[in-house]
Amino acid sequence: MNDRFQMVGILKKKTASEVKSHPWYKEHPVISEVLLGLLILGCLFAKGIMTKDPTYMDLLHYATPPGKEFLFGTDTMGRDIFSMIWYGGRVSLFIGVLSTVITTVLAILVGSISGLASERVDTLIMRFTEILLAIPGLLLIIFIQAILGQANVFSISFVIGITGWMSMAKVIRTEVKQLRDSEYILAARMMGGNFFYVLWHHLAPNFISSIMFMVVMHVRSAIVAESTLSFMGIGLPLEVISWGSMLSLSEKALLSGNWWIIVIPGLFLVGTLVCITQIGNYIRKRGNTTQSVL
Amino acid sequence: MIRYYGGKILIFIVSIFVLSFLVFTVSRMAPGDPLVSYYGDRVEKMTPEEREHAENRLGLRDPILTQYQRFLEKSMQGDFGISYKYKRSATEVVLDRLPYTLVLGGVGFVLIFSLALLLGIVCAVHEDRLLDQIICKVGTVTSCIPEFWVSLMLILIFAVELKLLPSSGAHSLRVDTLSDRLLHLILPMTVVVLGHLWYYAYMIRNKILEEIRRDYVLLAKAKGLSKRKILYRHCVRNMIPSYLSLMAISVPHILGGTYIVETVFSFPGIGTLAYESARFHDYNLLMLLSLLSGMVVILGNMVAQIINERIDPRIQAKEAMHER
Repeated sequence: MNDRFQMVGILKKKTASEVKSHPWYKEHPVISEVLLGLLILGCLFAKGIMTKDPTYMDLLHYATPPGKEFLFGTDTMGRDIFSMIWYGGRVSLFIGVLSTVITTVLAILVGSISGLASERVDTLIMRFTEILLAIPGLLLIIFIQAILGQANVFSISFVIGITGWMSMAKVIRTEVKQLRDSEYILAARMMGGNFFYVLWHHLAPNFISSIMFMVVMHVRSAIVAESTLSFMGIGLPLEVISWGSMLSLSEKALLSGNWWIIVIPGLFLVGTLVCITQIGNYIRKRGNTTQSVL
Repeated sequence: MIRYYGGKILIFIVSIFVLSFLVFTVSRMAPGDPLVSYYGDRVEKMTPEEREHAENRLGLRDPILTQYQRFLEKSMQGDFGISYKYKRSATEVVLDRLPYTLVLGGVGFVLIFSLALLLGIVCAVHEDRLLDQIICKVGTVTSCIPEFWVSLMLILIFAVELKLLPSSGAHSLRVDTLSDRLLHLILPMTVVVLGHLWYYAYMIRNKILEEIRRDYVLLAKAKGLSKRKILYRHCVRNMIPSYLSLMAISVPHILGGTYIVETVFSFPGIGTLAYESARFHDYNLLMLLSLLSGMVVILGNMVAQIINERIDPRIQAKEAMHER
């Protein structure tokens, strides 16, 4: 009001001081982080939590509903679901992480090679990537796995890992293309730094934040892929306990109406996925990086 | 113009060719016995001579490249061989099942995109208010749930507990009326729609939010247009090209979704067939199905590209500017 040149009819702009400062936990998906943390801890220290041997088939108590002795009930083969969840969570989370590592390494290699290579090689790699990107990931995984037949933890992670690198590679390529002409990279290369040196010391630290969101989301889709595969009976066999293979008993459970066999492992699965998604979304918002379309 | 579309068609043909070669070699090199799908359990009792004879008859003994060459020659004439499992021409088997998938996927597609547009607009209008926040939260959670588990829960609730809807198949035994078929379609359709809805709705919401922050909205407002008119006549309309290309890209993804849903509900569509053929090494059927799916995938992407490059007048205007 005391301004000498007061303009009329213009909205007062917010000055910086008017924006409230948030406490550190604001925007952080605290609930998701805590829940996921607890879940991971529970799976890591499964031995301490388990009340029964998860692999023991107690044929006297098969398909008992949740109660005092069997906290979450038993499945149609007489195994204690409460113990299986913590024990099987290890496998599910491990597959999620391992296949994400495979994917990320592949994506970084393809992306940075494509970004650093000559125009023609770059176009070739990107065309190839785009063709692969067009195929729905889960479908591709199911087909490869169905053709391969019997699976174990590592082969599943491998199949999931090699089918998910495309969108990540595209983002890395764009980033690398922007970075590659900067002076410090030129300097590093002139001083004799080879491809991996430049990648590790100069490129990776710069693009890692822009793929962080995709890395987190890949853990999610890997867990979904594993459980879908195991559910369809082409993933992990029944003896290898994971959340997916626990759900593969659900067809039998449906017929007899044993809801706990389907609902309880599913809730853990979905809960984990929701937590990971919330954290992923938080990372995306914070990073505010280029989003992929697919 | 001719060069543009000619190039596209060329890329299409080359991709299909590469795809067919990859599927052909990979499926044949994978471990597994295709004879099982032809002869069933009898295979185990076969003597080596019988095996050899059978393999010769199906042409499985030749080198892979010779087999591929034969496949190419025959498929050019429209002959995709017989399905080992069904002992009928693979084309016939697929044609029998195709309508089911088309109905499931097609109606699902229309539902997904009309509902997504609706939800997106509703959310954008109520931006950051309670309704928007609730829809966003619910949407994020539903998009996290794996499709097969949604199906299981729906079967558990509506088929097992409430006994309202059938849990599997496309129609009841011996009954084949329209209403019966519709009843069988409800659950699979719900899963197909739920699995994809939020992804697209959220994208539309964000696109509209981006759009209403543009300068022309201010101009329209200053001109005296009502909020509704600005939104529908300008913002939504501006978004349509990207919406259309999104629809084209999504075709393969929705198709992939129906494949999974079909296997859970044992719905007799292409999806269950594809899964069976991959699992039991029914090579001829697998080839035909992957070629079909591949075509849909590639076509979907091409249409999206064409929409992006040709249909949106703004892009053409930009190109014209560059040429000058």
